[in-house]
Amino acid sequence: MKQELYEKLVTHIVENQNQFYRIAFSYAGNKEDALDIVQNAICKALENYEMIRNEKAIRTWFYRILVNESMLLLKQHKKEMSCGEQEWLLEVPYFEKAYEAEGDAFDQINQLEEDVQSIIKLRFFEELSLKEIAEIMDLNLNTVKAKLYRGLKTLKQRVKEGA
Amino acid sequence: MKILKEAKKRYDEIAIPEELSQIVESTIRRQEEKQEVYQSNAVNAESEKDTVNEAGKENRINETEKGKVIHMKRQGRVLKRTLAAAAGIFAVFTLGLNVNTAFAKTMYEIPIIGTLAQVLTIYSYEDETEDLKISVEIPSIETISGEVGDMDAVNKEIYEYCEQYAEEAVERAKEYREAFLATGGTEEEWEKHNIQIRVWYEIKSQTENYLSFIVQGRENWNSAGNSTRYYNIDIKTGGQITLEELLGENYVQIANESILHQIEERKENGEVFWTPEEGGFAGISEQTQFYINEMGNPVIVFDKYEIAPGADGQIEFEIKA
Repeated sequence: MKQELYEKLVTHIVENQNQFYRIAFSYAGNKEDALDIVQNAICKALENYEMIRNEKAIRTWFYRILVNESMLLLKQHKKEMSCGEQEWLLEVPYFEKAYEAEGDAFDQINQLEEDVQSIIKLRFFEELSLKEIAEIMDLNLNTVKAKLYRGLKTLKQRVKEGA
Repeated sequence: MKILKEAKKRYDEIAIPEELSQIVESTIRRQEEKQEVYQSNAVNAESEKDTVNEAGKENRINETEKGKVIHMKRQGRVLKRTLAAAAGIFAVFTLGLNVNTAFAKTMYEIPIIGTLAQVLTIYSYEDETEDLKISVEIPSIETISGEVGDMDAVNKEIYEYCEQYAEEAVERAKEYREAFLATGGTEEEWEKHNIQIRVWYEIKSQTENYLSFIVQGRENWNSAGNSTRYYNIDIKTGGQITLEELLGENYVQIANESILHQIEERKENGEVFWTPEEGGFAGISEQTQFYINEMGNPVIVFDKYEIAPGADGQIEFEIKA
């Protein structure tokens, strides 16, 4: 039984690797980090596969790991950056301004709050149901709905301003 | 929401790096090895403990049962690992067609071929204006490693061909629109035309020695604007493979005889071909277009109208060597 679950998980990973990479990339914004995220997520998943409740949960369970790994990497980067050179910090406002003005919805999504961006990505890029997203994010369904709605509103506004 | 549609499009166009499938595969393999080491250590530790304790039968049965379970587990993986190991050797080569296909599927269904190069989309775009829809997918030959020819020239040629086709097709659509409106058509009527332009490619076959694929351009309003190019690339040289290389010195005779024979057969089945006097098949030449099929045989292709009425579309003849 457990062995079967393991095999199923492996198949799931192999078959959906491109999708996983795209999600990771949407957070990381570059190839190296995206590949790192995917690799870390696979390691974690295979090490902890016994925690999957049942076969049907594989999909949401793996997304959860992937999103968490993506967040982790982003946080690490933020940390590294804030410990880095002061000069770099001075440049930030200019950089961000230009970035925001140019960005389309794809870039704007990454400016949203972390859980909001995950909800939008899973909903519109991966086309998951709200119920699945609630499971992945460990939130209740109504919270997901509220956050999604709020996120979309902000997004629409910002894209309009940018245009 | 339109902005999300655009964002999703950008998301879907995130290019998948070549290394991904290798990284995924090797991560899984490493993890499996780690677990097996862990499991066999656990078994060893337990059996040692058993001996020390002078364990009774019950314990022994337990142990052998555990051993069995793990053994079975192993068997399950042996096959996989053999495949994985084989894949390891060829990992650099077997990125497969277009990489997108799930690694597992390509792995287990297609025999492993030491491909040194592959055809990938390097550039694609879609655009929709009031007047037309255009979708372009430009392929490029990416060499993976080893002794392969220089693909720059052919890649450049493909790229230019695609871009030029797209550009000219847009031009033709514009002319069509002007002509339509100038001859009394209204804007509303024009809108119903639903003009579409598409450039894409299709891989016919690939082995360690060659890549055979076609690149096509289509306009949905004008079949005269259709265009197809055949690429049979010798991986070792980067040059085009000729019919002579495939069929030998007497390739003209071999191909002609085979085609005439096949025409006769098809006529018996009720297909119509023009006679040579009507401008039908009059023998192949150096310019004759062909691709190489999965069997490694050249397939000669005649355009619509070339040797038979247009209703038959393109006509293909496989020449069995």
